[in-house]
Amino acid sequence: MAEYSWEAQSPLRKAFAPGRLGLASGDAGVAMTEISDFNLVQVMARRGLVANVAKAAKKAWGVLPPERPGAAVGKGATLIWTGPDQFFVLSVGNGPDPVSPLAAIFDGMASLSDQSGGRCLIRLSGARVRDALAKVSSIDLHDAVFPVGAAAATSIDHTGVNLWRRSDAANGSPVYSLLVFTSFADSLWHTLADAAAEYGVEATRTPLS
Amino acid sequence: MRIACPFCGERELGEFTYLGDAAPKRPSAFAADGAEQPDAQDLFFDYVYLRDNIAGDMDERWYHGGGCRSWLTVTRNTTTHEIKAVGAAPGAGAQKPAKAGATS
Ligand SMILES: [Zn+2]
Repeated sequence: MAEYSWEAQSPLRKAFAPGRLGLASGDAGVAMTEISDFNLVQVMARRGLVANVAKAAKKAWGVLPPERPGAAVGKGATLIWTGPDQFFVLSVGNGPDPVSPLAAIFDGMASLSDQSGGRCLIRLSGARVRDALAKVSSIDLHDAVFPVGAAAATSIDHTGVNLWRRSDAANGSPVYSLLVFTSFADSLWHTLADAAAEYGVEATRTPLS
Repeated sequence: MRIACPFCGERELGEFTYLGDAAPKRPSAFAADGAEQPDAQDLFFDYVYLRDNIAGDMDERWYHGGGCRSWLTVTRNTTTHEIKAVGAAPGAGAQKPAKAGATS
């Protein structure tokens, strides 16, 4: 059998420019971070086995998969609602086979597909992050309706995204995570950076932790 | 126009794709005993091409491709765009949605 050696590349290699962007004075209003080194597996419960899948997930990570749009932070993984009876399992790693451990957990109850290399993970935070997102998303991000743990499968700039809210940053500003198909990532990054430029953007990269 | 997806909540039209009338059912080319339906061609012509042009409430299929990727059945007034009911299309997801919304 042939041996392949794939070299991982960032899906943002064209769009990403580290450092400051837009408004140059004062603190950056929006922090845009590309998150790397994650495993992402789509779990779709087989018909009639939703309850079994939920139980298996609870046993594996200590949290139930959200039944409604939401993101549940468990031990070793975050479970993100993507649609009825389906969710993403997001975890730290960059191994070649993130599916096998989940196949053992769900043991025929769910269909699994590896999306680790298929999506780009972008984290957005900062004092003006909501102002920037309000320009490109129709989702109401007010605390009252989109608290920590809320999620949405929606479109930004005609591009399908999975958006969810993580725990607030140390400085109290909200933090949003966003998954987008890799082939649309450059384009979406530009859109987000343009929306945030007037508040000042600080662009960084970091592995998932 | 906005549609209240029973899974996602209310979203703008741009997240949805319109299929059309939810009424047509695929006919069978064969009768129960396995014999060929003599009028199968007419039944399929009707199923594929012929549509009622309803002015008023109509059950339609819409696809939430910009969101949860579920097929929905939407009851919409074709003259006013008022939406009276939204629910999951048969076979969407393995469980029933917690609540179905209606909005115009
Ligand atoms: Zn939906």
